[in-house]
Amino acid sequence: MNAQPTVAPRRTWTSLGKTRLSDALRVVVLTAGAIVALIPVLWTLLGAFKSPTELAARPPTFLPDSWALTNFTEALTRFDFTTYLRNSVVVTIAATAITLAINSMAAYALAKYNFRGKTFLFVLTLATIMIPLQVILIPVYQVVAGLGLVNTLWGMIIPAAATPTGVFLLRQYMLSIPDELIEAARVDGSGEFRTFLRIVLPLCTPALAVVAIFSVMWRWNDFLWPLIVAQSSDVYTLPVALARFNAEETVPFNLILAMSVVSIVPVVIIYLFFQRQIATGIANTGGK
Amino acid sequence: MARLRSRLLPLIVGLSSVALLATACAPGPSESDAAPAPAHSVDPKDFAGKTLNYVYFTDGPDEKGTRDLIAKFEKKYKVTVNLEILAFGDLVKSVQARLTGGNAPDVVRLASLSEFRDDLLPLDDYAGAAFKDEFLPGPQAAATNAKGQLIAAPSDLTINAPFINVDLFKKAGVALPDEKKPWTWDEMLTAAKKVQAATGTPYAFAMDKSGHRLSTILSQYGTTMVGPKGNTLDTAKAEKALSPIVDLMKDDKMPRDFWLGSGSKYKGANEIFLTGDTPVYLSGNWQVGQFVQNAKFDWAAAPNPCAKECGGFPGGKFMAAFKESKNPALAAEFVKFMNSAESQTTFVTAAGALPTRVDLAKSGVKYGDAKTQAAMDVFNAELKRTPEADFSTNGDPAFSGSATELVNQISAVVAGQKDLSTAMKDLSTKIDQLVAETKQ
Amino acid sequence: MTTVAIPLALNRRKRAPWGLRLAPYLFLFPNMLIFGMFTVWPALNGFNMSLYASSNGRTFKPVGLGNYTTILTDAQFWSVARNTVVYAIAFVVLSTVLGIGLAVLIEAQKRFKVFFRSVFFIPVLISPVVVGLVWGWMLERKSGAVNTWLSWIGIGEVPWLVDNTWAMVSVVAVGIWMQVGFYMLILLAGLQAIDPTLYEAARMDGASAWTQFRSITLPMLQPSIVVVVVLATIHGFQSFDFIYTLTGGGPVGATMLIVQYIYENGFQSPIRYGIASAGGVLLFLVVFVITIINWLISRKREAV
Repeated sequence: MNAQPTVAPRRTWTSLGKTRLSDALRVVVLTAGAIVALIPVLWTLLGAFKSPTELAARPPTFLPDSWALTNFTEALTRFDFTTYLRNSVVVTIAATAITLAINSMAAYALAKYNFRGKTFLFVLTLATIMIPLQVILIPVYQVVAGLGLVNTLWGMIIPAAATPTGVFLLRQYMLSIPDELIEAARVDGSGEFRTFLRIVLPLCTPALAVVAIFSVMWRWNDFLWPLIVAQSSDVYTLPVALARFNAEETVPFNLILAMSVVSIVPVVIIYLFFQRQIATGIANTGGK
Repeated sequence: MARLRSRLLPLIVGLSSVALLATACAPGPSESDAAPAPAHSVDPKDFAGKTLNYVYFTDGPDEKGTRDLIAKFEKKYKVTVNLEILAFGDLVKSVQARLTGGNAPDVVRLASLSEFRDDLLPLDDYAGAAFKDEFLPGPQAAATNAKGQLIAAPSDLTINAPFINVDLFKKAGVALPDEKKPWTWDEMLTAAKKVQAATGTPYAFAMDKSGHRLSTILSQYGTTMVGPKGNTLDTAKAEKALSPIVDLMKDDKMPRDFWLGSGSKYKGANEIFLTGDTPVYLSGNWQVGQFVQNAKFDWAAAPNPCAKECGGFPGGKFMAAFKESKNPALAAEFVKFMNSAESQTTFVTAAGALPTRVDLAKSGVKYGDAKTQAAMDVFNAELKRTPEADFSTNGDPAFSGSATELVNQISAVVAGQKDLSTAMKDLSTKIDQLVAETKQ
Repeated sequence: MTTVAIPLALNRRKRAPWGLRLAPYLFLFPNMLIFGMFTVWPALNGFNMSLYASSNGRTFKPVGLGNYTTILTDAQFWSVARNTVVYAIAFVVLSTVLGIGLAVLIEAQKRFKVFFRSVFFIPVLISPVVVGLVWGWMLERKSGAVNTWLSWIGIGEVPWLVDNTWAMVSVVAVGIWMQVGFYMLILLAGLQAIDPTLYEAARMDGASAWTQFRSITLPMLQPSIVVVVVLATIHGFQSFDFIYTLTGGGPVGATMLIVQYIYENGFQSPIRYGIASAGGVLLFLVVFVITIINWLISRKREAV
């Protein structure tokens, strides 16, 4: 039945879609925007291959003299890179796994059950997004120290796993799952947890993808908390190392750029892999 | 809407009552609870097999010196020392967190004693009452608390002084300054401007953005910011001292963006010097190690320009032990060891720093290479010319805050928001507040 | 609520009716346990600290509401508050408008839609510290890339980070750069959910593009816009990391926002934990109130 208008096959409200001009204009504007979005990343990437003299040149040069990986190797050998990398990876993966598990369970409870204290818990969860970390840094440390988790990877993984944003996004998404599916499962004799695992979760993949990418991004880039929790350098993560560079007397900027690239690339790659899922996930959590 | 309210209201009531309950309990003990450390004398053999945590920050070349010394200590007492290196800016945060978590390190290297004053272990009981007097009077005073106890060992001394780019001076045909007859501020600035004009460098003068460096200039014009009696700032002298700097930045002969671009955060101008963009750079002796390695031109340390006084402004690092250390005797022993004459010699030669010990200051220290030696000789001479009052200023609990405020005020003047005279008066008011706040 | 399940051999979990009532609490338990221990309890502690004065986080002197009085009579606090409000308003308004604009353009795009959609999200993934570093480097007045490129098209040096007004502009611009991709995705999804027949009907009635936008697109986008505004408000008021790296709060405190104020009081000599905590409480209250107001307004509109 959908009568396709002759010119604009997609749902567009621009009825001037007939002229090529508006199409071209749109592409120009979007491309300009894309350039603005990407330029700093590209500039950092190019700079990561330059030597300090090249970086200090005025006016700045565009392409590096050589694509040798000297900055990277120098930055990485200045300190125990493999250990830091391993710690970052372990913390990120473990934290994301835990976050997905417990956030989805909590979101399910908040979305699909009616019980006492539901609104209170939901508002509490939302409210805590608004507390800046700097204010609770010392009190959280006291709790972690009391549990004997300081200077351990678990001390970095667990405290931040119950992300309020994750619970919020997953709950919004789950609201759109039809109750009938769940009821049907119950009637068929499936237990609550089984229903959750076999029926609800698979339907939530896009939202899980969103929470996953956010968790990866936060944990990979997190530097304040690991800095405070870690005492010996065998527990440091990559951003802590970057912070160390930043605070030295002569800040070796070319090495900082190399480290920045190392910190950006993995997250971007993961995102590009899953970007379709992520977009769908954000889609269904947005419109309450 | 009414339904909403009926849901929100109990929520708000619930949250506030929980909050009120929590506030009924104090978060911690009140101030007077510190238990005094008992006097100890421990048999060194008891140390064997124990572990010590040393939280440290490095400027680069000093790390090796420290590691060598640690190896010696470990061998001597059969202990393990964990050297935990943190970035200078993060050290205070990290140690604070650890103290609140009951997880204090044993020993720490500090640039300032203000933050942890009450937590440091008085060393006299462990190291002996004579230990204190092994150090020069200035640093010793800075490391002594109100009860007259030594709460840290001054491990190395720094002094501020200008560096000059010798190649540029020679190229411009301007005479190099003489250590024995230091130049005046006017002479230094004239020389710098001449070199700039002749060689075409972007700037004539550069300086780290730091209240500590600015205090050098204040000292040369005869005033300091704080002292044992509180606010010591003479606003008229301060104005006279800082107008050349302000004028230089107005004329863009001194990097202005550098000063405004990073808020009140510390920023070092060593890169500007290393790229040859300025013939004169006011900093301090900790740069020597890096300059020796990285400078691609001939440079030298120059005497401080004199005004009313000569000399520079001191800084220094301390090694301290914590009261809450699990092994205070071992911690104190470590501090004593690392600051003995032999150890300090190893350390300052590696680090390019000045000794704090009376014996070493008298006998002089031999540095690794000729270039470092020449520079350090200048710094040593400058140390001798530095007014005594500067040492207690630097060690005063209100100094850090005052230094930050000084930078903020100068930035405001440079940005054209107020004139220098008002800025100095505002600074004085703020210093009064800080002194009241940090009174012990 | 009364489904009684027939026992299955494989699944030994609780299936009795009381199991159904217990289920939500069990689901919630792990998350809320961690949440309670590591977020709520420390937050209450932190707020509690605002009623005391402390210079080391370990010994405390009760001062009642003294910290709040000190803050509210501190000229620096009001300057910081003003900066924060200016930043937050500019950030929320501009990033929402820009987000809508980008979403509309991308939605209308036939080719490279996925490319554009991904590209704008990439800045969201970069650590705020790195963002501050890189932009600080690019916005340097004399040798920064941005001014160099501007000079190619004849625009003189712009004092991005060293002039009070331009610094705020830079900070807002970089903040938007960092987040707009995320908001755009939310709004894009909202756009895609609008029924195309509405547009067809309007077109047949002869409505112009602008009228269609105003009377169909914007109202139908309402829920998404509310979500974006709420998130942007929270992000806006909490901005710190990238600003601190970019300008340090300078020049002369022109870009110092409330979290930096809290941070400096908590971690820089002279340390004033009580003041830092009190600042945190005030910030929380402001954001909380604004969010509730936002939410109530949106509920009211939806009910219409």
